[in-house]
Amino acid sequence: MDLQTHIQKTLLQVAELANCQISQPLTDDTVLLESGLDSLGFAMLVAQLEEELGMDPFSEMQIAVYPRTLGEFIHIYQQAAGSS
Amino acid sequence: MSDLVIVTGASRGLGLAICRQLLTAHYRVLALSRTESAELAALRQQQPALEFEAVDLAKLEELPARCASWIKRFGRPYALINNAAVGYDGVLATMHNSEIHQLLALNIEAPILLCKYLLRPMLLNRSGRIINISSIIAGTGFNGLSVYAASKAALEGFSKSLAREVGKAGITVNCVAPGYMQTEMTQSLQGDKLESIKRRSPLGRLATPDDAAAAVLYLLSEQAAAVTGTVLTVDAGSTA
Repeated sequence: MDLQTHIQKTLLQVAELANCQISQPLTDDTVLLESGLDSLGFAMLVAQLEEELGMDPFSEMQIAVYPRTLGEFIHIYQQAAGSS
Repeated sequence: MSDLVIVTGASRGLGLAICRQLLTAHYRVLALSRTESAELAALRQQQPALEFEAVDLAKLEELPARCASWIKRFGRPYALINNAAVGYDGVLATMHNSEIHQLLALNIEAPILLCKYLLRPMLLNRSGRIINISSIIAGTGFNGLSVYAASKAALEGFSKSLAREVGKAGITVNCVAPGYMQTEMTQSLQGDKLESIKRRSPLGRLATPDDAAAAVLYLLSEQAAAVTGTVLTVDAGSTA
């Protein structure tokens, strides 16, 4: 499974665990704050991905970065996977 | 449900007392401290449920990777007890800036980072407990302990906000605030000062590390599931 599919699948699993409703089909342009997943849900997504992929790109960055869209979020993971 | 409890500052004093009571109550324990004391090593000989890791929590930049490695090796924790702290005694006007910095790094920044990285697996479990060890000094103040008091008051404010943040994920966050206990940290407090604290306390004695550890065990228990964002004072009544 490629990273993009993996992240989208994990997001849906985490949303269910966090009792969040994902309203629209997920695309790269989905704005994270409007996706239906709340801020604690995103923390869970980062935690779940860290367990599965063994990396937390946000902690490894020198400055605080908050992606706006799902595409930007996935790109950060793709970059981290490419550079590790 | 995972029964792993991670305890910082575990080699002496209150941390060691907490480890002993956790093992008696059949929790698995990951004990963290800079070095392993003889007492902790002896306890580990008798108790296979006790693991030890040497870590200098003031090395903040190492904490994310250390937390990840503990989760990988020992599994998702049920609870974190932030007990490690230093208490430099001295008037602020002559306290060295490096000591102020070190104290704040160990007493407040390290617990915040440990909470950040160790509550993530608790979020995924939809259950967990965080207990931060404060001190009655956070509320009362004490001559010569201003920076220590600042760190403990900060820890209490942090705990209350975090309790609000993670409550809906089934995680509770509380503080235990011991009064003066006879541990290595308070050994400089001797003689008249100590006698005066004992005399003024309603129970006529000091709280012991075991008294404070029992409060920690209560907050970890199923019976404390509805207790979050609070400070449990164990001081033999000193602040009554």
